[in-house]
Amino acid sequence: MPRTLALILAGGESPALSILTALRSEAAVPFAGKFRIVDFTLSNCVNSGIYNVGVLTQYRPRSLHEHIGVGKSWDLDRRIGGVRVLHPYLTAEGGDWQKGNADALRANLDFIAESPTDVVLVLAGDHIYKMDYRPMLRLHEERDADITVAVHSVSPHETHRFGIVTVEPDGTVSQFEEKPRRTRSTMASMGIYAFRKSFLTEILTSGNGTNIGRDLMPRLIKQTHVVAHQFQGYWADVGTVQAYYEANMALLVETPALDLFDPDWVIHTKSEERPAAEIGPQARVEGNLLCDGCRINGSVTRSVISPGVVIAEGAIVRDSIILTDTVIEAGAVIDRCILDKGVRVGAGALVGDGEDNTPNQQSPDLLNTGLTLVGRGAEIPAGATIGRNVVIRPRVGSKTFDKTLAVPSGRTVGG
Amino acid sequence: MLYDIKRKLWYSFCRPGSLLNGVLIASALEVPVRVVAMILAGGEGTRLTVLSEKRAKPSVPFAGKFRIIDFPLSNCVNSGIFDVAVLTQYRPHSMNAHIGNGKPWDLDRSNGGVQLLQPYQGRRDESWYKGTADAVYQNINYIRERRADLVVLLSGDHIYKMDYAAMIEFHQRNRAELTVAVMNVALDETDRFGILTVDEHDRVVEFTEKPKNRDKGTLANMGIYVFNAEALVARLSGGGEGNPRIDFGKHIIPSMIGDGNVFAYPFEGYWVDVGTIQSYWETSMDLLDPSNTLNLSDPNWVIHTRSEERAPAKIGPQARVTRSMVCNGCVVRGTVDRSVLSPGVYISPGAIVRDSVVMNDTWIGPGAVLDKVIVDKNVIVGAGVRLGYGDDMSPNRQQGDKLTTGITVVGKGAHIPAGITIGRNVLINADRDEDHFPKDEIKSGETV
Repeated sequence: MPRTLALILAGGESPALSILTALRSEAAVPFAGKFRIVDFTLSNCVNSGIYNVGVLTQYRPRSLHEHIGVGKSWDLDRRIGGVRVLHPYLTAEGGDWQKGNADALRANLDFIAESPTDVVLVLAGDHIYKMDYRPMLRLHEERDADITVAVHSVSPHETHRFGIVTVEPDGTVSQFEEKPRRTRSTMASMGIYAFRKSFLTEILTSGNGTNIGRDLMPRLIKQTHVVAHQFQGYWADVGTVQAYYEANMALLVETPALDLFDPDWVIHTKSEERPAAEIGPQARVEGNLLCDGCRINGSVTRSVISPGVVIAEGAIVRDSIILTDTVIEAGAVIDRCILDKGVRVGAGALVGDGEDNTPNQQSPDLLNTGLTLVGRGAEIPAGATIGRNVVIRPRVGSKTFDKTLAVPSGRTVGG
Repeated sequence: MLYDIKRKLWYSFCRPGSLLNGVLIASALEVPVRVVAMILAGGEGTRLTVLSEKRAKPSVPFAGKFRIIDFPLSNCVNSGIFDVAVLTQYRPHSMNAHIGNGKPWDLDRSNGGVQLLQPYQGRRDESWYKGTADAVYQNINYIRERRADLVVLLSGDHIYKMDYAAMIEFHQRNRAELTVAVMNVALDETDRFGILTVDEHDRVVEFTEKPKNRDKGTLANMGIYVFNAEALVARLSGGGEGNPRIDFGKHIIPSMIGDGNVFAYPFEGYWVDVGTIQSYWETSMDLLDPSNTLNLSDPNWVIHTRSEERAPAKIGPQARVTRSMVCNGCVVRGTVDRSVLSPGVYISPGAIVRDSVVMNDTWIGPGAVLDKVIVDKNVIVGAGVRLGYGDDMSPNRQQGDKLTTGITVVGKGAHIPAGITIGRNVLINADRDEDHFPKDEIKSGETV
């Protein structure tokens, strides 16, 4: 395997994740209860034997920085290599925010230049998948490619969300279309690129394209030797609320496509020390993921329960994702919701209530399937009734609600 | 340099009989003292039968993901003591792996941190530890090298949360040579403990090991001590003929009480010595009682442990789980009531687990029924096995003093073939496989 530097692009804002990315970058969004999305890419790196990793940040990086720390959880706290968090900085010539992933790489050219590596593996920090990068890197070396692109087949209905590539029988890529309206191929670029280091340096210094998929790849396909590596396993881009919700729910089936219990491919994360999940005498738990430190005395079905969540007696949680340390008081009913961290739902409140499925008025394209979202640290007063497709923004206090304590479907609460 | 002088000065202030007014004592206390903790973790714990056959008692798993020693270790770091020695002797392998470099407790430090002290061969009388005091005596250089002012001596097999800093303050305030932590026990239980009799200033006047009479008071020795390092070193070095120094409870503590500068620090809170199968099981069941006072989720007093990275527990659609603790990495497809499941336990569909403790990575087959059982790690319980079956409560014939209350214990790595019925008070030793189960039924009280 060639000497490899992995660069994880984790700076994006991802507005399509609504309240989940209001206070954190997409890479730091919790997933499957105890993980964060970036854990999958980071763990793939170390499980593939890549111990030289840079994480490129820009949008609201605090929780991501804190999560990664010195990289202890991934054995990336090393003297040689290890993990480095690379954030935008000012230079004597001024400085600017990075306008896209190619721009982000360009801003870190000096880091790439100093790194003793043959290949730069560019990874997205916001995908859920388990992938051994070694076969791809071997292919890259064998074919002596300038660029190797990882590709995954997608359904023809989804091609408009991805960069679609056309692969020739010999494995070379002959066409790259970024988010095409209509296309014949169903091979999507996974946003995983292996670049020969000298080649990457050259294209970044000579051109000024800001985005790899949109600006660089379509042009480079014509000029250079680009090879495709087809990946067969589970892969999900959880860049929208709906995709995020579905990827979480997919873990609850009998044998999920994404096996988190595989001892040979452990997904590492920075776990807080919490005691075992406590399940009380009145509890009913069916078809869930439960994390250490949660305390359940209500009824929980088909839901993902993160560490430290408290579900009081008589409360009902169905088809929902509840993030860390959220408290659901007695008798509250939560149906098809995503509750961010530290939310408090007062006694008897109904969240995700009724049959009215009016899409969210502010973002009807994003929230129209009945999911209600509650932002970090929000307080829902006791007895409130909250409809579907509702967004309660982070840190909304219980006083924000009017006297009726009713929020009809499709509304947004908080500025 | 200045620091050393200040420390010496402070030390002379704290001598008993120093002429000192209260204001000065308070300011003298501002000077930091060097505290080391020594955790006695060498015991075999025979009363825990197969649970401590392949590991020392302090490394027996507890509350699913913890080991018993996590409690004193976490108490140390939560009390601000980052100089900790763990004295091991009996089967230390699993504990050494658990403690490692002390990372989970932030004890992987360049100055201080955790150190494992095992018996070693020397030119004088160094050898296997003959008792608790002998173990500390053989490692007296640790106390000297760390230039300790105070030694906090702890036992590695108690479950409790305690702020040693408060006890140290009590020790300093009384200018004691030795402070013993005590707790009130019921009068009819005093014959199980070492009982301390104190005067009105909390000074210990008498120490009676397991008193027959009920007139010694109800303050029980918890096995938690704060020593002035100098006094401890002097007492241990001065031992010999006619003045033995083998055991703290038998030799050292009584003789220091005789010198008259020993105080009793009253502790209120949850404390339990999980030394027997019965108390281990009861303590585990206590955790499941909503009114238990050992709060494991206190963010201000986290119990740290070495956790493997495991996925969240998966509860199947047909599962029923009540009154239980379930750790990450478990898969529950059957029924679990009033039980503690460690990480990685698999409960098959149709299996029923009641009033039991099931340790890491044990597999419970379809339709198996467990009632009042403690199952060690990596056990395979075949389909349809009935474990802890029937009303026959005959005590275990080989270990009649340890297994009498109906608890069946299965040792690490045992493989119980499908369809077998096993009674109560049964002991199944570690690593038994199909060949050791010639019959389809094992009656209560038997040993495999």
